Amino acid sequence: MGDTLSYFLMAWLDPSLLMLTAIGTLAGIYVGAIPGLSVTMATSILISFTFSWDVNDALALIVGIYTGGVYGGSRTAIMLNIPGAPSSVATSFDGYPLAQQGEAGRAIGLSTVMSVIGGLLGTLVLASVAPFLADMALEFAPRDYFLIAALGLLLVGSLAAESLSRGIFAAAMGAVIGLVGLDPVTADPRFTLGSMQLMGGIHYVVVMIGMFGVAEAFFQLHQLNAKPVRQKVDKIIPSLRLVLKYLPLSIRTSLIGVIVGALPGTGGDIASLFAYDHAKRSVKNPSKPFGQGAYEGLVAPETANNAAVGGAYVPMLTLGMPGDAVTAIIIGALIIHGLNPGPMLMIQTPHIFWFTVGNLVLANIFLLIFGLTGIKIFAKVVELPKAILIPLILVLCVVGSYSLNSSMTQVYWMLGFGLLGYFMKIFRFQMGPVILGVILGPLMDQTYRQAMSSVGDDSGAFLLSLVTNPLSLVLTIAVVLLLLSNTPLKRVFRRRGQA
Amino acid sequence: MIKQILATLAVSAGALAAASPALADYPERNVQGIIQWGAGGATDTVARSLTPHVEDALGTSIILNNRPGGTGVIGMNAVMQQPANGYTVLYGAENPQLYPIMGLADFDYSDMTPVNVIGQGLVVIAAPADSQFDSFKDLLDYAHQHPGELRMGGTGAGGLPSTVLAMVNSVDSLDVRNVTFGGDGPGITALLGDHIDFMPLSLAAAQDQIAAGRLKGLAVFTKEKIKELPDTPPITQALPKIESYLPWGPFWAVAVRKDTPDDIVATLSDAYQKGVANEDFQTFLSENGGKSLNLQGEEAEKFLKHWQSVTAWALQKAGGAKVSPEEVGIPKP
Amino acid sequence: MSNHPPLKAGERAFNALLLLLSVGVLYEAYQIAGFDLPNSAGAFPILLGVIMIGSMIAILWGQRHHPKPDTRGVLDEARQFIHEHFPLTIVVFSAMAIAYLLLLRPLGFIIATALFLFVSQVYLRRGRFLAALIITAVATGVIYALFKLLFQVYLP
Repeated sequence: MGDTLSYFLMAWLDPSLLMLTAIGTLAGIYVGAIPGLSVTMATSILISFTFSWDVNDALALIVGIYTGGVYGGSRTAIMLNIPGAPSSVATSFDGYPLAQQGEAGRAIGLSTVMSVIGGLLGTLVLASVAPFLADMALEFAPRDYFLIAALGLLLVGSLAAESLSRGIFAAAMGAVIGLVGLDPVTADPRFTLGSMQLMGGIHYVVVMIGMFGVAEAFFQLHQLNAKPVRQKVDKIIPSLRLVLKYLPLSIRTSLIGVIVGALPGTGGDIASLFAYDHAKRSVKNPSKPFGQGAYEGLVAPETANNAAVGGAYVPMLTLGMPGDAVTAIIIGALIIHGLNPGPMLMIQTPHIFWFTVGNLVLANIFLLIFGLTGIKIFAKVVELPKAILIPLILVLCVVGSYSLNSSMTQVYWMLGFGLLGYFMKIFRFQMGPVILGVILGPLMDQTYRQAMSSVGDDSGAFLLSLVTNPLSLVLTIAVVLLLLSNTPLKRVFRRRGQA
Repeated sequence: MIKQILATLAVSAGALAAASPALADYPERNVQGIIQWGAGGATDTVARSLTPHVEDALGTSIILNNRPGGTGVIGMNAVMQQPANGYTVLYGAENPQLYPIMGLADFDYSDMTPVNVIGQGLVVIAAPADSQFDSFKDLLDYAHQHPGELRMGGTGAGGLPSTVLAMVNSVDSLDVRNVTFGGDGPGITALLGDHIDFMPLSLAAAQDQIAAGRLKGLAVFTKEKIKELPDTPPITQALPKIESYLPWGPFWAVAVRKDTPDDIVATLSDAYQKGVANEDFQTFLSENGGKSLNLQGEEAEKFLKHWQSVTAWALQKAGGAKVSPEEVGIPKP
Repeated sequence: MSNHPPLKAGERAFNALLLLLSVGVLYEAYQIAGFDLPNSAGAFPILLGVIMIGSMIAILWGQRHHPKPDTRGVLDEARQFIHEHFPLTIVVFSAMAIAYLLLLRPLGFIIATALFLFVSQVYLRRGRFLAALIITAVATGVIYALFKLLFQVYLP
């Protein structure tokens, strides 16, 4: 117990570790806020950078970057409708409308507090039931991931506000974009149109930057001369009453975040969309209708994506298996530093676990401090004349997509998706389902084929396997229920009745 | 007039003379290192732990950049499209040697100049800890009686498990369901959850899990037992005929574009040779189940050719090649 | 017949294009592995192609009662579409953006970015040279420092 406490407090008591966590968190916020600069990228650069450092220093810095980065994406999502990362896509649904109503400051304040609550709850779960949660995560067979992907794609029902068919179309199109490239199983080219550049696929961040960033920039060119919305900069820090009001919701969405984050193969991007959907279904009287600036629509994704950080550490620290791309890199870092990230990590180097837990708590405290300072200046960004803002957004989009892998091809694609997004926006298609498809399409394809191979390509056995295993049965029931609640049948009948 | 021309010539000659020492000054700026596999994988980890030592020897920094996708085709293609000036190097794995026969691309390492073959990994066939099989022989016996029932974890066409399976199939018959995962990591996760029955893995990825008793080693892909896994029998115990392929394993290499000037290749080779020889890196390799090779020049080319011919023909024999090795000019071993 | 909102100019053309795209997707998906197996590289893509076509037909079906846009003929509709969604500002700005991408390699990041920021701001704000100059210098500097020096991104 004494050991545990001293490991936990290691980063708190050592000034240099404290500094590194703080620097990491601050840097992470800005890395995360810039579309195209991802936490994954920042950590992988840091690994080479921190090679000669002490391993604890490197880990402290990475925990900070990770925590700050996941939160940072919400900044641009709220202010400019350009999510800094896929895990903040859901944040833009209600965050941006809030900024347009002059509440950018309040939205950022609320999302900061909620991110911290999510982050702390995620860490709490990590600290208390990590081994249990890891064993549970192992129970998920390919067919269960397939069902999760199906559940995720059914969220289209709540993301596509006015027209379900448009949502389905957009999601399927997104899934096609996600599948472009060499098939991971047979190495057959899919939708590459014979191009070598396309064999590597289209990075989903490129789609996101194009469809949100560039399309939005073009759209705003229409309102070039409109007076920018004056931002209210009072009451930025949400009142305790408000926080308590959303506490039950934030606990539920944090749980969604930590579980989805702990599953290897799914992360904060999917978690935040699930959480948004959960909020939309469970909250009967939101502060404003969802999609028009509901606080609940901010609370859910922001708690979930930060809770997913704690979740991602669960399989990494207990099994040596990455929970997401960032923890995969951390595992690489541990190997380079001569540690054995694996099932023996907790036994050979027990301090790593509690050191990380302590560090996560610390990073969340810094997140609260850094997140709540300087909001007034940030909110002013929204007040900049559009004629200045739009060229800047475009440059950021270009640099962001270029830096994904130093290739101009991605930049051209980004602009192409921007134009397509602009057209789709004009004709009332929504961007959310496209991103959903890009993220979940490949997951669904891969897990479906894994599940089919596992039962020897026997469709009957595959369907049977979906209902004979208890875990799969629960997920199947969830899919069916969601399908029924989404089904256009209801609407079709109603329309018939009118006609 | 003639004077003018002569003067111009003299100036150009002077410029040339001035330019050639500049050439000899390589490297005068950062070098870009492209890793053909994703962050956190074996190739990535090797690249990232080797590079700092090379930077010391080279006297400049090497900026690493992951360009995964298409079994590494994307990363390799990216390097081949940069100028041949030694400022872009490829950190690759064994996969390019199989591109021609898998129909993935029409290039392989022979279309580049190898700078260093860093080292080679070992392969272990692993099963869940509570598996009914205790050795690869048990598994083979079962598979002979129940063909097409066992689930093997794979990483796709041209990946390590499918190559190992092809080698086994070229001397025996092992009919399994091939379940494809995104890499060793997701495959191990599925093994831990009992969702597949076995998977050929790189020793680096599996050894800790086996040591901790969460996975069981059925066979190591070598002629003799290895010190990292003293309890796991060599594959030759179950399949004596496979010996002709051994030793076999994945490897990691650094390469540059073919027409890179010789002196630049020499500078790079020298730096990488020192980097790989570094004590810290050697410790890292041996702790992670890798065998250091540190080959340059002709030796490296010879190694690459030999590896390619052995593997390609084994795949061909097992019917795993899409294009016959003969057709793409790979000689028989 | 009409409590339905009228269609936007160009909406039918755009939807038709998307339907064409969906058919293209289905064709490409079929090219992957044919109708081979329930578990092939092409199975899921074919399903997606079918879904895209199906949902697009549903969209078009749902619009059959909507009144047509108030235009005379195809040309007029195209004109109205361009007038509504591609006013001069957007066309010029897009051209600048494309020029920026094309110049990025030949001119290098700093010059191309500075040029693009300066010219587009002067154009969009109709003047204000000094402000544009200052913002351009600061923004280019900050972005360059951030990406190149801090994150070691390989800028063109």
